[in-house]
Amino acid sequence: MDIIDLSWWQLGIGFFILIIPALILWRYKTGLNKKLGIATVRMTLQLLFVGYYLEYLFELDNAWLNAAWIMVMVLVADFATIDRSELNRKRSLVIPIFLATFFGIIVIDMFFLEAVIQLPTFLSAQYTIPITGMVLGNCLRSNVIGINAFYHSLNEHKERYRFYLCCGATRNEAVFPFFRDALKKSANPTLASMATIGLVSLPGMMTGQILSGSSPLIAIKYQIMIMLAIFSGTVLSVYLGIRLSNYFVFDERDVLDSSILKK
Amino acid sequence: MNSATLFKLSDIRFSYNSEQLFDGFNLLISQGEKVVIMGESGSGKTTLFRLLLGFESPDSGSISFKGSGYTDKIIRSMRKEVVWLPQDLNLGAGKTGELMDFIFEFQLNSQSKPSRPEIIDTLEALGLEAGTLDSTFSELSTGQRQRVGLACCLLLDRKVILLDEPTSALDLESKRKVAELLLNNKRTVISTSHDPWWVDKCDRVIELNNLF
Repeated sequence: MDIIDLSWWQLGIGFFILIIPALILWRYKTGLNKKLGIATVRMTLQLLFVGYYLEYLFELDNAWLNAAWIMVMVLVADFATIDRSELNRKRSLVIPIFLATFFGIIVIDMFFLEAVIQLPTFLSAQYTIPITGMVLGNCLRSNVIGINAFYHSLNEHKERYRFYLCCGATRNEAVFPFFRDALKKSANPTLASMATIGLVSLPGMMTGQILSGSSPLIAIKYQIMIMLAIFSGTVLSVYLGIRLSNYFVFDERDVLDSSILKK
Repeated sequence: MNSATLFKLSDIRFSYNSEQLFDGFNLLISQGEKVVIMGESGSGKTTLFRLLLGFESPDSGSISFKGSGYTDKIIRSMRKEVVWLPQDLNLGAGKTGELMDFIFEFQLNSQSKPSRPEIIDTLEALGLEAGTLDSTFSELSTGQRQRVGLACCLLLDRKVILLDEPTSALDLESKRKVAELLLNNKRTVISTSHDPWWVDKCDRVIELNNLF
């Protein structure tokens, strides 16, 4: 069954539904309508750009070009992670979080695209771009939760961290409870969504595949695979993000550089 | 320099938030001394501990430990010989016993990890019941948390103990027990306090307000 294409007019009509949430937000003086307007415009323009760009990317289907696009996505995710974690864009964070996200994505992509799916063409755009995008989007969300929790909690409870150091802990031992709590906080949303998937929600990738005519059984196989990829990718990138940045944000006396935190 | 000198601070200058806390401050603490630091709030008592523990660096002047001037390496090795207890200890969420065990699992402490009966004996010596180990740490009173922290310090058995207001949340009976366990031995105990009872038990008083 072919998918029903949406005309630009039909898509335009879809925007009218926003009147309902906008009225509710206005009625309760949330002050969110300006943000809603900006977010809607940004979402539309970004997706339009990506849509046209991906048309070319799919047409050319060049592994180098696809890899370059992944690098751009990782770089954007890197800055977004730092900004949304309420941290400053310092070199001591930008480089390690970029590397963490990049390695996280590389491991997941190589494993699922090349070892599990076994793409006939290396980094084929049709599979690489959407799967990487989904994993990366979730990595970003988890990194924000995990890295924010780690550094802000460490700063808030620095007496506890210092107490551990003065009880003989190495830096890695002293940050252990903060690291554990950050991993728990970042992994919990994905675990919760894994536990309820299919019952409470039909996920985007599966819905997209079914809409484009795939059999539901093929769609669920991909969905299971993508959930495994998302969970593994998020835990790996949060772990690497905290671990790698730890090498740069403490001085030789194990004191946290508080200038990384936004006041 | 006297071989028994533990900490030596020479001509320390330190300002925090553009307020000059120390201006040419000197201090010598010998091994085995029981020193108490007094001063009004904001006089620099906590900052002095941070300087001693290497969490802050002076703007100028020098600090030494056992005759060695502070370097990153000396600070790290100094922290292995001391233990410091903040005024309001927060060990996070969880059972008190598990949170105490975490400290004894550090590589440095693992060889001398105390047994359960040793931990219970120390808690009881400080007037706490064995059941405290199964209580949620955050639900303990400030005084109970303070005594759990003191128990950790005693069980770690370091020769140098730094205590921030160790009796601020204790009744007289508990204070007596703490003083007996901490002050009647060869350890060096450096504390900050506003408590005349505790001050009276220490060998030497350092008044920060009158230093410069």
